[in-house]
Amino acid sequence: MNNEMIKDSMFVKAEVAADEKEHIAAPASGMITDAWARLRKNKAAVVSLFILIAIILLAILAPIFSKYDFAFTDYSNVYSTPTKGHIFGCDQFGRDLWTRVWMGTRISLMIALVAAVLDLVVGVLYGAVSALLGGRVDAIMQRIIEILVGIPSLIIVILFLMAFPAGVGTIIAALSITGWVNMARLVRAEILKLKNQEFVMASHVLGSNNLYIIMKDLIPNTVGIIVIQVMFTIPSAIFTEAFLSFIGIGLAEPQASLGVLINGGYQVLQNYPHVLICPAIVIVLIMVCFSILGDGLRDALDPQMRK
Amino acid sequence: MKKRMAALMLTMAMAAAPVSAYAADASQTLSVAVTAEVKTLVQWAASEEQASLVNNQAQEGLFRMDENNQPQPALCDTYDVSDDKLTYTFHLRDGIQWSNGDPVKAGDFVFSWLKQMSAEATNGYSFIMNDYIVNGQEYSEGTVEADEVGVKAVDDQTLEVQLKNPTPYFTNLCTMAMFFPVNEEFYNSVGDQYGLTPDNMVYCGPYVITEYDPAVGVTLAKNDNYWDKDNVKIENAKVRVMKDASAAYNAYQSGELSQVELDSTNVAANKDNPEFSQTVDFRTTYLQFNLTDDVVGNVNMRQAISHAIDRNALTEFVLADGSVPGNGLVADGMSGDGEKTFRELNGDIAVYDVDEAKKYYDEALKELGEVKSLTVLVGDDSVSKSVATFLQSELSKNLGLTVEIDTKTMQGRGEQMDANNYQMGVTAWGADYDDAMTYLDLWTNGTPYRGNYVDEEYNSLIADAKTQTDDTKRLDDMLQAEKKLVAEDAVVSPIYHKGSATLTKSNVKNLITHPIGVPMEFKYAYFE
Amino acid sequence: MVKYVLKRLGYILVTLWIIITCTFFLMKNLPGTPFDAERFSIMTPAQQEKVLEMYGLNDPVPVQYVKYIGNMLRGDLGTSFTYVNQDVAKVIGSRLGPSALIGLQAVLIGLALGLILGVLAAWKHNSGIDYFTMILAVLGVSMPNFVAAALLQYFIGLKWGVLPIAFWTSWSCSILPSIALSFSATAQVARFMRTEMLDVLDQDYIVTARAKGISQAKVLMKHAVKNSIIPVVTVLGPIVVNLLTGSLAVENIFSIPGIGSLFVDCIKANDYPVIMGITIFYAAFYMLIVLLVDVVYSLIDPRIRLARGKEN
Repeated sequence: MNNEMIKDSMFVKAEVAADEKEHIAAPASGMITDAWARLRKNKAAVVSLFILIAIILLAILAPIFSKYDFAFTDYSNVYSTPTKGHIFGCDQFGRDLWTRVWMGTRISLMIALVAAVLDLVVGVLYGAVSALLGGRVDAIMQRIIEILVGIPSLIIVILFLMAFPAGVGTIIAALSITGWVNMARLVRAEILKLKNQEFVMASHVLGSNNLYIIMKDLIPNTVGIIVIQVMFTIPSAIFTEAFLSFIGIGLAEPQASLGVLINGGYQVLQNYPHVLICPAIVIVLIMVCFSILGDGLRDALDPQMRK
Repeated sequence: MKKRMAALMLTMAMAAAPVSAYAADASQTLSVAVTAEVKTLVQWAASEEQASLVNNQAQEGLFRMDENNQPQPALCDTYDVSDDKLTYTFHLRDGIQWSNGDPVKAGDFVFSWLKQMSAEATNGYSFIMNDYIVNGQEYSEGTVEADEVGVKAVDDQTLEVQLKNPTPYFTNLCTMAMFFPVNEEFYNSVGDQYGLTPDNMVYCGPYVITEYDPAVGVTLAKNDNYWDKDNVKIENAKVRVMKDASAAYNAYQSGELSQVELDSTNVAANKDNPEFSQTVDFRTTYLQFNLTDDVVGNVNMRQAISHAIDRNALTEFVLADGSVPGNGLVADGMSGDGEKTFRELNGDIAVYDVDEAKKYYDEALKELGEVKSLTVLVGDDSVSKSVATFLQSELSKNLGLTVEIDTKTMQGRGEQMDANNYQMGVTAWGADYDDAMTYLDLWTNGTPYRGNYVDEEYNSLIADAKTQTDDTKRLDDMLQAEKKLVAEDAVVSPIYHKGSATLTKSNVKNLITHPIGVPMEFKYAYFE
Repeated sequence: MVKYVLKRLGYILVTLWIIITCTFFLMKNLPGTPFDAERFSIMTPAQQEKVLEMYGLNDPVPVQYVKYIGNMLRGDLGTSFTYVNQDVAKVIGSRLGPSALIGLQAVLIGLALGLILGVLAAWKHNSGIDYFTMILAVLGVSMPNFVAAALLQYFIGLKWGVLPIAFWTSWSCSILPSIALSFSATAQVARFMRTEMLDVLDQDYIVTARAKGISQAKVLMKHAVKNSIIPVVTVLGPIVVNLLTGSLAVENIFSIPGIGSLFVDCIKANDYPVIMGITIFYAAFYMLIVLLVDVVYSLIDPRIRLARGKEN
């Protein structure tokens, strides 16, 4: 290299404003702010958001301000129906269901959050990488999924139970094994469809790397599917947790989740339906709000919906 | 492998066409439900109640229990006991037959008993013979030959049994399914296929099995070769597998079942129903303390815990299924001196007394220093979990003691207790026969499962009771032993005796249930 | 295509072997023995040893593994420990039929109802049918199938007496459990169909098709549905596997001799040969369905190429 021939002084820095560098006619707006602006216009989604916030607040605050501890037993109130003192009635041990339902909501929301994050991070990335790289990588990644699904998870869960103390941590570990697999397969299928389309090729030609393509081109176009899959993963995680608690892993008494409360309520359905109905209403409410909000988010996030 | 898979697919296709064999008139068929599958009917492999229920209708032993739970001669006509009470000679009835027409011989008893005593007995019940019959234990360990074991066919109609010790309840044992005969000739002709299908068994009881599917249940029809067939009134019967309690309740209401066992929430709703009845089984659920543990190794701590449990509240409000408070280890109603029950004779030796509990607790804290929390190990069925939750709330309320609940699968719980890896465990024991020894014998071997309890006085009481020929002294030994185990040393804390509440259709009469051994008798039942 | 499928079948055998191996060694670490813990603990050591020997559990685990694989390759899956002397293939075979029948019916109900609702909801976006579908979908997923089963049994079986309450005696016994199982499948199919349809209906080719004057119904059926079905096919794979291999709760409620309860029972009871048998069946079935789904992708959407040319 002959540096003496070309000197820095020969160049003059052009005076171009930063926002002119990639001039686009439409006003630039980030995906998030853009989405939020559109979400706000969707009334049903906004209402759902507020109900969800209210449920979260109740889950945090209701047990604190309740007269009764969630574990306090009162054998004169066994299976009492809703009264002024016990808004949701009492359970088999005369424990206040109002407090227990909100305590349960806390735990279930936490599990829902973990399941959603697992889906969004592990599931989406796994599926996207597998589809985009294709070939041998895809084949190996898909075989790994098959192995994870093929080994009976109940065996692994019981082994977990022998090795670790029961609790939310064990539940999360158990969910992590296969909870994200369906999402990965869905995203993979969608991206297999998208990856040969023009806009992805264009991005490739423009020199985008794979990660950029996944994050900016592919995932935004699969967001509808992703939102719905998350919506299905959450209740299935909540009920998987209930099943795990049922067979001994997971929460130990006196703790309870919504799933465990529903399991317990189901067993006395004919004689004391309120024990099932109260937690069921909360879970349905959460799901309805989440679903409407999710649809709103989908409309807000999906680039093809930007009109 | 490929071939096997193909076969599997084929069976799948065939099984996909539902079988329509259960179409008999429901009102004239006696139909009862069991909560778990009838996984095997081979008597030395089956340990579950449901197998015993089925076998008791299709087979018969030397004795059959009557409505007062007393053994009455069945296949045996008469029997003699030697003066030293060690030799029993049973004379079989004339003309008794298997369902295929073969005569029932004394040798058929010898054959099945030897199976039960051998290592082939995978039901874990070999002790029920080996503890009593001469050389049984040695035979199971393979150190003696079959002809040295104390059970012999003197001729086709005479069975002679040599016992190690006098055993006043030996005829009670003979009513159990493990003591039924098996047709040796027939068994040898089908080999290891024995008991897998109705055709691969022969029957000597009041009924024969016409259909058998482990997951569906058993269909029974009256046995025309049964010696007492004139007294069997009901022609057809069914034992149906129904794992879900509310489903069984629904099925009863729709007339699909003649009898149903109620779970606690349905008991309250049916208390005034004329079809309602309630019995107490000979089954005790208790808290087993691990004596090698730092905390519950302390006798005052154990006493404190045992006195802090309000057993009445548990049975009345939480279980509410007819169970009764466990104020002693030996179950309510088990025989004592013939007039009074064992429980009546020994009184309440595990009682709820908060003041007493607190005294013991303070004493224990003085000796132990600070106690943070205790862990109770339970199985994963819903009743065990309820009991544990109750214990947790009682100890927290009455002693301020925090209890963690460790729920494991039944196998996991068992392994942890065997490995001495627990503080306290909720365990249950169902009596095998109507005698206190069925409980008390368990704490003589000092295993971790039984809390590592090794006590010379206790062991000598039990050893004396086992060899005692004087029934009064024998009973006295056992009364003392129970007191020692429960009241003095508080090795276990009895919690409750399991009750069962049932509804029986009003047209079904005399369907006898037993709190012990074989659960039910179809033989005496009739429709009105 | 044929080459691709053969290659995938080869993969399946290798994957299956890995699954068998992992499951075998994991399973041997399950707590306890195949025998009742309490009864086993009161046997003398000599007896315990004899019992273990009878079931071939005395050998070191790797030896047991080699023996198992050897027998398996000869087509012998062994005999069950809990269903004494019963051939594992027979035990599984007898339980597969009921589960498969109910599962298949549930899938068909879910697929038919879900597709109709999903297409209608997307077509009549933001209409009554759209909201109805949404609500149904939410209820379908947030109500566990055992609650649905219990309600169906109580109302339709007991109160109205239209269909059998439980048991497995005629085809009519399979209706209620199939319906109970179909809710979540219906919900999933409807939701995915609706979302994807909404996307597709906005695409240029649909607009073009409409502009060309093709009838609404033809646009929907010929272009929209076919192009929206990829996610449904993807979720349908696992749904089919799960439904056809049984559900513990629904089987228990309706007293159906299905494979779902068999599997849980056997794991809890350490019935090793049956655990292995079901695992092999389940894993093979799952992988075959996944393969089928992948093949279907390329049939319905030419943009997805399976063999991926020179990359492979």
